[in-house]
Amino acid sequence: MHRESVSINAVISVVRDYLVLVMIAALVAITAVIEPKFMSGANLVNIMRQFGPLIMVSLGMTFVIIGGFIDLSVAGTINLVAVVTISLIQPLGQVPALLIGLTIGAVCGGLNSALILSSGALTQAEALFITFGMSTVYSAIALLYSGGSTMHFWDISASKSVFEAIGGGNVGFLSVSFVIFLVCLALLWVFQTKTSEGRAICLTGGNKTAARLAGVQVSRAIVVIYMICGLMAGVGAIVLFSRITTAAPVIGAGYETNAILSVVVGGTTLKGGKGSVLRTVMGVLLVILMSNCLDLLGVSSYLQYAVKGAILVFAIWLDNRKQA
Amino acid sequence: MDTVGSEVILTIKGVSKSFPGVRALDGVSVDVRRGTVHGIVGENGAGKSTLMKILSGVYQKDSGKVVFDGQTIEHTTPQESMHRGLAIIYQELNLVNTMSVGENIFLGRFKEMKGMRGTHAKAGELLESIGCKISTSKLVSELSVSEKQMVEIAKALSFKSKLIIMDEPSSSLTGEEMCELIKIIHQLKAQGISIIYISHKLDEIFDFCDIVTVMRDGHVIDTKPKVDFTRDDLITKMVGRTIENEYPERPRCAGDTLMEVQSINTHKLHDISFTLRKGEILGLVGLVGAGRTEIVRALYGADKVRGHRVLIKGKPVTIRNPKEAKDAGFGFIPEDRKLQGLVLPFSVESNISMASISNFSKFGFIRKSLEKGIGTRQVKALNVKTPSTRVPVRNLSGGNQQKCIVGRWMEISPSIFIMDEPTKGIDVGAKYEIYSLMKEIAERGGAIILISSELPEVLNMSNRVLTIFEGRITGEFDPESTSVDKIMKAALGIVGGCA
Amino acid sequence: MNRSGIGESLYKLATKQKAFIAILVMMGGMLFSGTNFYTVYNLLDMLNSTSILLILSFGVTLTIVSGGCDLSIGGILVVSGITAIKLLDFMPIWLAILCAVLFGAVVGFINGFLVVKQKTEPFIITLGMGLLLTGIAQQLTDAHPIPAKNPDFMMIGNGDIFGVPNLVLIMLVCFGISFWLMRYTQFGRNLYAIGGDYDVARYSGIDVIRTKWIGFVISGAAAGLAGVLLSSKLNTGSSVYGELTALVVNCGVVVGGTSFAGGIGGIPQSALGLLVFGMLDNVMNMLNISSYYQVMLKGTVIVGIIWLDCFANKRRREFV
Repeated sequence: MHRESVSINAVISVVRDYLVLVMIAALVAITAVIEPKFMSGANLVNIMRQFGPLIMVSLGMTFVIIGGFIDLSVAGTINLVAVVTISLIQPLGQVPALLIGLTIGAVCGGLNSALILSSGALTQAEALFITFGMSTVYSAIALLYSGGSTMHFWDISASKSVFEAIGGGNVGFLSVSFVIFLVCLALLWVFQTKTSEGRAICLTGGNKTAARLAGVQVSRAIVVIYMICGLMAGVGAIVLFSRITTAAPVIGAGYETNAILSVVVGGTTLKGGKGSVLRTVMGVLLVILMSNCLDLLGVSSYLQYAVKGAILVFAIWLDNRKQA
Repeated sequence: MDTVGSEVILTIKGVSKSFPGVRALDGVSVDVRRGTVHGIVGENGAGKSTLMKILSGVYQKDSGKVVFDGQTIEHTTPQESMHRGLAIIYQELNLVNTMSVGENIFLGRFKEMKGMRGTHAKAGELLESIGCKISTSKLVSELSVSEKQMVEIAKALSFKSKLIIMDEPSSSLTGEEMCELIKIIHQLKAQGISIIYISHKLDEIFDFCDIVTVMRDGHVIDTKPKVDFTRDDLITKMVGRTIENEYPERPRCAGDTLMEVQSINTHKLHDISFTLRKGEILGLVGLVGAGRTEIVRALYGADKVRGHRVLIKGKPVTIRNPKEAKDAGFGFIPEDRKLQGLVLPFSVESNISMASISNFSKFGFIRKSLEKGIGTRQVKALNVKTPSTRVPVRNLSGGNQQKCIVGRWMEISPSIFIMDEPTKGIDVGAKYEIYSLMKEIAERGGAIILISSELPEVLNMSNRVLTIFEGRITGEFDPESTSVDKIMKAALGIVGGCA
Repeated sequence: MNRSGIGESLYKLATKQKAFIAILVMMGGMLFSGTNFYTVYNLLDMLNSTSILLILSFGVTLTIVSGGCDLSIGGILVVSGITAIKLLDFMPIWLAILCAVLFGAVVGFINGFLVVKQKTEPFIITLGMGLLLTGIAQQLTDAHPIPAKNPDFMMIGNGDIFGVPNLVLIMLVCFGISFWLMRYTQFGRNLYAIGGDYDVARYSGIDVIRTKWIGFVISGAAAGLAGVLLSSKLNTGSSVYGELTALVVNCGVVVGGTSFAGGIGGIPQSALGLLVFGMLDNVMNMLNISSYYQVMLKGTVIVGIIWLDCFANKRRREFV
């Protein structure tokens, strides 16, 4: 065995793994120096607030990617969950509306997995097209349901206290949404690393054929990953519209890109099998910090979109080199 | 034909080649003469295909000299080799399935042939010259193996090859198709083209080869005109040791009927029914593509098959997917361990524990300590050579990787163990270990269904053999008391010699 | 054989000629619609509208046949269109167009590098590239469409020669060139070989890296050209048309019979596949279907097509 090269390789892979942390630290340092407003209390609160919707969606996306697939339908799911939930607060009450909203998210995910399984799609590319198509379908349903109009909290006379709490409330010195995030993170982390179903998902992503032949229930794993992704998209939608107190049928636009970006940047490989929700948290943090810094530095949001695309390309390339 | 005096077209002198941990070729020297059919025999792992890959440019030799048609050959590529007149026809066949016959023959030479019309015209000519009547516009995916081989031969001829290497060409041919091939070989010989014919089937070697080289463990043992060899002589030189030491004593533990399979029917299989007894090793013998793997996959639920019945201990069992098969007591070693058996980037431990996850989880939660125990236990029991159970399984050698898959199933002690090519690409030492393991399993009451392309392996280890031909069971034999010829005839379907 | 011969051949026909059947179904349906579908004006207009997508598809076909795909065409489309319009202020039309096409070729070159040399998965990396370019396009236009000020430029996309729209003529020329390329040149045949079996192609001495790479460059250039034509037609540079376009074009190529697996299909097949989408758009407009439903229908069709493609592959495959 070549001992020398093994240890050098180990060093390189450690560096690559922590590249994200390093980049975050560098970005923070640079921006703090250039723009002192960065470290202000208001800005930090702002950062924490942006955490909510994106992190929820990204956590769900992590599972799909670990399972070896991809989900481009989250934007559509968010649109649908948002408009339906907000519209049901008045007639049904906030708790039923909330539950229905989450169910819709899970159903969208379940539908995605049903299509993928029934067609026998095996590759990420096929899943990409199917879920993208479904995104347009879900978005269109959202548009039709809402008639294209946006609903606001001030239109609703019934109690919205739960949503208001999610949107702006506090538990101690932490925001409610942050607590929800911590709870979701804990549950998902335990699920991924410590349960047999979580292991089944990793194995499915590692080698679908081998997993199946070893008796792992691959089909069930696929349903689970998409339902989790749909459910978390639903959670993200609720946090989102609670925060901005309105739900437009296009509210979810761009979330699929940001979510995939967060997962990939965080270090979870697109090839599947390996990864972690904790890494995704780091990825989201980086994406949000980056947006925040670029905002403070006066970079237009369009250019930021382009930068994100560039980083996605770079991150995928880097991920590819790592796996080779 | 007097071959002794004819000119040498290929000289191999002192060629050696090593891979990490394995010395594949050690000082190999051989001369091939013009216009002869030169057979190379040897067991799996003897070094035959490594040598051929060096000649054709896929591998580069570490040392030694190769002289072809007067030219000394150093570093070369497959394409250069073809242009030089040295063609090789692989067992896996080097054709693009989605393209036509004509285009395949002139792959990459479209311009030279002046486009589609020129390509098909010349291709048609070449095929006719070997008596093949396939239309050049037919897609390769629609051809039978024998027809594909003819396309490959036409391709070799298109390069005006002086030497054509055929690597195990007969493994998927019927008796008739084999006759066709022999006819073509004689034709090529008459044209002054030399043929290197690689095989481990002695009958073919004795049938139409002029000179025979025996290889074993990376060495050339002997090279003589065929007539100077006797069959026993050849076998002894091939194997190098008495056959008894290659396999453990055959287990004789067959007991009551354990499983009954009734009427498996798919578009490839026809009315497959058989029984399996406790403690028995049942061998499935047949050509590549006859349907052996399809049978076990249908049984194991890996392929969607309906309409058949499986009875285990007299009770009907429904198996629609591998999980249900596993629950019913099956174990399954797939044909291709890298693609179908292992998750290569995952640890040895994970790969071994894959099938027994429910054994080390409680209420859905994994107990890491129990999983670790499984890994260490199987690595020890099967003597898997690995620095630790945490390393990625891709770092292990083929034999040790295979042992991991075996260990995976040993952990749950299946009562019906399906093994599809369990010793493919494994060194002799590891093979013996796996044979011993099979014996142990049989002695403990487990039943094994064994598929192998190594006829000696199946014949030496099985208690009973089923011959499969074109999706049908053509015979059931006791390998101890039946002649190899009789079994092979049943496996080849049609009886009869050549014109 | 379990299945009846007729049933099996019908099934084969259905999956191989999905595009043809889809078109027949739509044309049949429109017979009873009482609209102006069956007029020369409408049919020509339909062809005109689809021309730009067709040009895109010719380029993409090269990448898909060789085993990859190109989802960045939407991004290239919008950026090159905007670039052309902006450059019109400084240089003659032909030069501006050339620059735009070259831009597309450069992006294709980068795509090729990442996919072929760096061996990255094409679908995700070209998707990322497309997003990057869309962002750039939005930045360049500040999300407001930029009007062109050059009437000659507008004529390219909107004029006609003897009643046949310029776009259709340009599209036909592109069709001819790419058809010849794929069917009658070594380069084209090599693309098929690479898509059919990468290793066999490599062993046969085909320069797989260079060939596949050039395929991406051409795809990018075609997208660049399409972008210019689109800007000319709309007489503005807009960033709007990016995302769905890439999906629609890639799907259209698959519908026509060029599978993502590579090695099969071709230009005429892709053209037929895109015509399905072109006709679908036209039919939906004729039937006055609201734009909300239109998007949903298109999405449904995309899902349906890919689903069918996968399902057909599943039946062909023996193993998981």
